[in-house]
Amino acid sequence: MTNLISKKNLSADFKLADKVIFVFSLLLVVTSYFYFWQTTPASYAIIKSPQQDTLQVNLDHKKIYDIQGTLGTSSIEVTHGKIRFTNSPCQNKFCIQHGWQQHHGELTACLPNRVSIQLASADKTASYDAINF
Amino acid sequence: MQINTQRQDWLVAGFAALAISIHLLESALPSPIPGVKPGLANLVTLYVLIRHGWRLAVNVSLLRVLAGSLLLGSFLSPTFSLSLAGALASLTILGVVWHIPGKPVGPIGLSILAALAHMSAQIVTAYILFIPHSALFTLLPILLTVALISGTLGGILVNRIIERVDTLAPHE
Repeated sequence: MTNLISKKNLSADFKLADKVIFVFSLLLVVTSYFYFWQTTPASYAIIKSPQQDTLQVNLDHKKIYDIQGTLGTSSIEVTHGKIRFTNSPCQNKFCIQHGWQQHHGELTACLPNRVSIQLASADKTASYDAINF
Repeated sequence: MQINTQRQDWLVAGFAALAISIHLLESALPSPIPGVKPGLANLVTLYVLIRHGWRLAVNVSLLRVLAGSLLLGSFLSPTFSLSLAGALASLTILGVVWHIPGKPVGPIGLSILAALAHMSAQIVTAYILFIPHSALFTLLPILLTVALISGTLGGILVNRIIERVDTLAPHE
């Protein structure tokens, strides 16, 4: 009974075309890390709160926004491509500790105050972020 | 009622049954990342492709997806759409590569291409149907790495199984 996991030389399993495909696939996989793991800087942020209209703010300036939430006012600071909570009437201040957000797709929120910030870049928007069944 | 069956039908039924059993066993395995499975059921497809041709492989693979989902209760669910998309994509690429004159590509090459196509189609389907957020593609490099590894190992395994079967029952 020959064993499927035998001492047979592994390279005997590969035809020339198999080797070519393996090498190209390996390159493809390595490239995919560079391609999909690069971050896009965000160009604007969408600030949402149930207490006021959804706000779309540009990130290329310096400003502090005061957003009315369910508990009180959250302060949000924008500085040249970055955005963060600087003050919020919540207990744990997770939103403030979350710090600066600056890449496309990032999300930060003060849940108790129900204020959220979603970062996006010019041409990439999604109408909804997920569907669950 | 009598249905006229041919040898081909028996082969499809037998291999599909084998693939479905592996599919069910595999679904019971715990997985570190959602969607990461060794893809052992696809080795049956690959074996059937090489020994019995593309049409039979299509039959076996699609039957496996259909019957597997009925048995697991995931028929027409998101899991099912992903499974079907993966199967269709890998069957397509297998069909194309298998029909290259001279058959230069062996089990390993076929297996790698099928695994990568399977994984890519699944993530694109997930993106289109369920999670239209570009963050989903952050997973793609990891999933492709897993597909490359499992595809290569699966191909080696199928190659050795075929060599072994050929010595026992020479190809007609």
